[in-house]
Amino acid sequence: MSVVIRDRTLKALSLVLSYPTAELQQAMSEIGGALAAETRLTGQARRELRPLVEALGQGDLYELQERYVALFDRSRTLSLNLFEHIHGESRDRGGAMVDLLEMYRAGGFEPTGWELPDHLPLLLEFLATRSEAEARDTLAEAAHILEALDARLTRRESAYAAVFAALLQIAGPAADREAVAELVAEPETDPDDLAALDAVWEETEVTFGPDPNAGCPASRDMLARMDIPVTPAPAA
Amino acid sequence: MSHLLDRLNFFQSKELEQFADGHGQVTRESRAWEETYRSRWRHDKIVRSTHGVNCTGSCSWKIYVKSGIVTWETQQTDYPRTRVGLPNHEPRGCARGASYSWYLYSANRVKTPLIRGRLLKLWREERKTKSPVAAWAAIQADPAKRASYTKIRGKGGLVRASWQEATEIVAAANAHTAKTWGPDRIFGFSPIPAMSMVSYAAGARYLSLLGGTCLSFYDWYCDLPPASPQTWGEQTDVPESADWYNAGYLILWGSNVPQTRTPDAHFYTEARYRGTKSTVISPDYSEAAKFGDLWLNPKAGTDAALGIAFGHVILREFHLDRQAEYFENYCRKYSDMPMLVRLDEQDGRLVPGRFLRAADLDGTLGETNNPDWKTLAFNEGTGELVAPNGSVGFRWSEKGKWNLEEKAAGREARLRMTLVGDTDHDQVVGVDFPYFGGKATAAFTTGDTRPDVLTRNIPARRIATKDGEALVTTVFDLFCANYGLDRGLGGDWVTDDFNADVPGTPKWAEKITGVPADRIIHVAREFAENAEKTQGKSMVIIGAGMNHWYHMDMNYRAVINMLVMCGCVGQSGGGWSHYVGQEKLRPQTGWLPLAFALDWSRPPRQMNGTSAFYAHADQWRYETVTADEILSPTAPKGDWNVSLIDYNIRAERMGWLPSAPQLKTNPLEVARAAKAAGQEVKDYVAAGLKSGSLQMSCEDPDAPENWPRNLFVWRSNLLGSSGKGHEYFLRHLLGTDNGVLGKDLGQEGRQKPKEAAWHDAAPEGKLDLLVTLDFRMSTTAVYSDIVLPTASWYEKNDLNTSDMHPFIHPLQAAVDPAYESRSDWEIFKTIAKTFQEVAPEVLGKETDVVALPIQHDTVGELAQGEVRDWKAGECELIPGTTAPAYIAVERDYGAIYDRFVALGPLMDKLGNGGKGIGWKTQAEVEALRKLNGEWLDGPAKGCAKIVSDIDATEVILMLAPETNGEVAVRAWDALGQTTGRDHKHLAEAKEDEKIRFRDIAAQPRKIISSPTWSGIESETVCYNAGYTNVHELIPWRTLTGRQQLYQDHLWMRAFGEGFVAWRPPVDLKTITAEVNRDAKEDTPHVVLNFITPHQKWGIHSTYTDNLLMLTLNRGGPVVWISENDAARAGIADNDWIELYNANGALTARAVVSQRIKDGTTFMYHAQEKIVNTPGSERTGKRGGIHNSVTRAVLKPTHMIGGYAQLAYGFNYYGTVGSNRDEFVIVRKMQNVDWLDRPAKEA
Repeated sequence: MSVVIRDRTLKALSLVLSYPTAELQQAMSEIGGALAAETRLTGQARRELRPLVEALGQGDLYELQERYVALFDRSRTLSLNLFEHIHGESRDRGGAMVDLLEMYRAGGFEPTGWELPDHLPLLLEFLATRSEAEARDTLAEAAHILEALDARLTRRESAYAAVFAALLQIAGPAADREAVAELVAEPETDPDDLAALDAVWEETEVTFGPDPNAGCPASRDMLARMDIPVTPAPAA
Repeated sequence: MSHLLDRLNFFQSKELEQFADGHGQVTRESRAWEETYRSRWRHDKIVRSTHGVNCTGSCSWKIYVKSGIVTWETQQTDYPRTRVGLPNHEPRGCARGASYSWYLYSANRVKTPLIRGRLLKLWREERKTKSPVAAWAAIQADPAKRASYTKIRGKGGLVRASWQEATEIVAAANAHTAKTWGPDRIFGFSPIPAMSMVSYAAGARYLSLLGGTCLSFYDWYCDLPPASPQTWGEQTDVPESADWYNAGYLILWGSNVPQTRTPDAHFYTEARYRGTKSTVISPDYSEAAKFGDLWLNPKAGTDAALGIAFGHVILREFHLDRQAEYFENYCRKYSDMPMLVRLDEQDGRLVPGRFLRAADLDGTLGETNNPDWKTLAFNEGTGELVAPNGSVGFRWSEKGKWNLEEKAAGREARLRMTLVGDTDHDQVVGVDFPYFGGKATAAFTTGDTRPDVLTRNIPARRIATKDGEALVTTVFDLFCANYGLDRGLGGDWVTDDFNADVPGTPKWAEKITGVPADRIIHVAREFAENAEKTQGKSMVIIGAGMNHWYHMDMNYRAVINMLVMCGCVGQSGGGWSHYVGQEKLRPQTGWLPLAFALDWSRPPRQMNGTSAFYAHADQWRYETVTADEILSPTAPKGDWNVSLIDYNIRAERMGWLPSAPQLKTNPLEVARAAKAAGQEVKDYVAAGLKSGSLQMSCEDPDAPENWPRNLFVWRSNLLGSSGKGHEYFLRHLLGTDNGVLGKDLGQEGRQKPKEAAWHDAAPEGKLDLLVTLDFRMSTTAVYSDIVLPTASWYEKNDLNTSDMHPFIHPLQAAVDPAYESRSDWEIFKTIAKTFQEVAPEVLGKETDVVALPIQHDTVGELAQGEVRDWKAGECELIPGTTAPAYIAVERDYGAIYDRFVALGPLMDKLGNGGKGIGWKTQAEVEALRKLNGEWLDGPAKGCAKIVSDIDATEVILMLAPETNGEVAVRAWDALGQTTGRDHKHLAEAKEDEKIRFRDIAAQPRKIISSPTWSGIESETVCYNAGYTNVHELIPWRTLTGRQQLYQDHLWMRAFGEGFVAWRPPVDLKTITAEVNRDAKEDTPHVVLNFITPHQKWGIHSTYTDNLLMLTLNRGGPVVWISENDAARAGIADNDWIELYNANGALTARAVVSQRIKDGTTFMYHAQEKIVNTPGSERTGKRGGIHNSVTRAVLKPTHMIGGYAQLAYGFNYYGTVGSNRDEFVIVRKMQNVDWLDRPAKEA
């Protein structure tokens, strides 16, 4: 039985985010067509996808590949492995990937190939087989990462940004602003803004115990009072 | 989610069912909260592995795996127990190791083979019409095509490739290179096999089957302490960390145990609980300093002066004013102190000369075998001259007398230490000693105006030799004079007052080091007192802070002398603990055949890395140090005024050091021509070299025929970490953007080398192909043409050992290699297979000519008693004696893979061995046939298989005495033949033990005692170096057979290192008026000594791009400076600063700290320039790495060969890459430019 791709747009975006090959180049007109017909996307979003679709279809393959490797294989901040942006190199990453793997299995699929379960094109392909609601919910969970990648790629003036903008539209309502801001601000800073750089590098002051400038005034006062010994210690 | 809402806090239901007589109770509350913990700890299996990092902590870890994904890991705690009274080994494994694991899924991981896009495009274009080798040849033949990818190295442009395509390019390049230039132009660099020995062996085996060149690392890293082979004939052998616990007194000298040896540090703490006293010697307030009962902070680079002052006190109080019985006996039996030295007349003055030898006497004392190599002493009882057992002359071509029994010619012989007694000497003579203290540069000067030669009185005897009367004295008498000790013989430059400012005294050292004299006296006394009371349980732990100086030998010998004076070496709880670059590959003799394909052909091509990189990165073209700056004022007459590369060339020519490439002509062509001429290879080459029709490559490193053409780097970050002279690598070897700021000798109009050919235009981009195997995108990978993704530590099967503990440990494939990566073993196997397919186009069965320098631990080490250069007409060219041996080796280029995966026939035919002893190994080979299976047909028919990485581990484990008790007993028996003593008892209890891979997978196993090492594994003592020398009376592998404190080789005497001396750091002259723009422009800056220790926020010396480590530190490169220096240069903490000199520039954040001593700056080793490194204002290029401001400088004494312990061995003796004498200009950066722009064409 052939697997039914329910959502050709997600499948198309999965392909667009995959490593450019000659095969992909040939399929780009079909992929571009699928994307152009997607009504969940605004006209602007569809227009913005066009340069990427065209580049992938007609550009020099070596240049496309060099650019892909430089962006997605070589730049940690643009990694397509979603958990890189959540767990980084922490030990929670393994467990999170197992969860994802179990989700795929529950959906009736076994990943093949060598990509890790949190690889975005792989996830998109899986979602392309799911109901629209499930796909939307899952994407919405990752929205803050998608938005951060969108922002970073936009800053680099990369045509790939449009893919993430499109995914965000499919995901629905805006992502958690705070989470996005945190992600966007953290790793990449404006290299020309020295003050901002310094702020990023600034070590936070370590304060022990309740902050004397905030928190519960009662405990603060209590603690302050404790600083003055009721009976001074006898002289040594 | 909180589970509070589902849980009852104040009630218990009364309806609950009870069971087990009311002890159990059914609940109805939600237990969903438990799920958090269940999923947190879930796993399908637990696998033992370790991190194959170059710290070689070799710590046991449990890897938890679920659904083929590593979910977490914990430290294993099941090391075999230690004996009663000794703390156990665990817990091992540090936080850095734990953080390291997550490279596994890091975005830094290399996922697929990567190739420079331009190269791949060229390749595919050529491949449309050509075969692989022809395609590669076509690209190389077109300079524009070649430059199109070499000039953009390091500037991105990588694309993915399939394994098939990537390996085909590599194989074609290798075949083309072997055919066109010679197989020795294919280089490979991989360090520290002990951390993953099969992975190392994979590449080395491939290269060795090809005839490629393996480069050494231990000397290049400057972790090899040449003082060790000089003194002991031993590469390095040290106590395990557990033995710290047995020490009564511990000095940590330039070592930062809590920071850099974290898993072992607990033994240091435990020793202190036991009552061990500890002194920490470190210029900065290091992590270790707070562990010390005392902290001495000498000026960096002045350690030798401190060590000499310690020695002065110990000699005075324990050897002269009072003779501590234990020390006296120890020194008499185990050191060269009683040996006699000739006093040579030179311009009417006397200087210490060679050891007196049996051959110097008429009748040679009846010694007919090697009398030139038997040193003499006076028998205390009879007063006669004797040739005591144990000197190197007894080791070769003789049986039964190479031991340290107090015997000579079969009779008892107690040796006399000194001639100072009135009746023991004929006269007191003045002997000249060089003094270098007045030569210090501005940063180290004390205003010392003493002359450069100090004449001191020595008691001497006149004896008759076959060429007339000679004056002799003992090493001990010269030794005491060298320490400036007054022995009542009168004369100058000696004293009996510690507070007199005479070279050697604590007062003198105080001026140089800044350490108060009274503290020096205090520590020296305590150290020696403890050693006397405990029979040698005083220990010195030394780190790189001592070894990375140009005159590291002086630092080390000052310490070694102290230890020998106090009888500490070879005693448990005592001795010399050099933990720098963990080299101990315990099952070494099992591994060597696998790694260097000794089972198929011998000898392999091995090259000392330092000399290779010095020549091929063209660092010699910028040499600022001249020989006369380091030459002794007492040097015998000779042609000493040549440049350092000239010394290296002479050393290669005389067969002392190896060469790579070897001859300017392709060795395959040389063999063909020899055959056509009907001559033996060695005769043909000898004649050719003499006539000039053949030329050694070393004489013209810049000629295209002599370039290394292909370089493999695996398990290493050569360009990001260990590449001294980084910018020269980039300019000359790679041919890409670089930050060299100085000029070469030609441009500067300085004296050029005499032996090395000079080309005004230096080549840029010598390498045709740079291939790196790594699992992460390291700095080296970024510069490579091809990057092959390799398996990480939980993805391959391998072996791992350490000198810090006596266990052999596995790495195991807990999960499959992530993405498209493969283990090093599989990668090289694939390359070998592809090579076998593509090479027959141009190569078949060929004869190769391999040049072999005179090897350590072979009879060849007796080749050159005198220094004679055949090219200067001083002797005949005799291959293997006065020149390298030239050996014909058969290669089968159509069967490289078939040989790779089979244990070749030479193990059966020639046997196995190491360190000068050999044994048969047919039984083990047969066992391997049964264990691994055997090839039924093909070129390796009848050979045992080595297909998988586990097969490879079994080869190592089966062949090595350390892991096969039967072999161990055989090896001890073989050694016993030479020593005339029975050592078999050291292994007999373990004769039946055979350690297999699955055994160590179950639990790390303690290795079996073997003659490869000088310590033993036992239930009564910890592993300690020199133990079998002292307790089994096996001689040290030196000229005298004893711990040799006097070095009598001509070059040693010429360069003033016969005895230890305080030699100030050398002047590298990298801060010239032209380079120092800040001085010219009068902008704030400060000039500081540049030090590169190992760090806290990196994983040993290699990995600092790890997010956790970066987060804990400052997220990018940092340099530490003192508050005062920072103020002088107007630098505040966290400022962006730039460090530069003629070698290049680097950028970093400043860490301003009271911890740092004024005058020095720290840049912790190996901070990746690919992480948060802005551009340099001085070079306009990306700020460099720590090695951007360094350059390797060779030392002639490290080139000596063919002379007993001073003979070449791979990673064993040879030139070292020191880097701590360097100075840099430190300035605050005005503009921080991240260079976030597309790269421009070079």
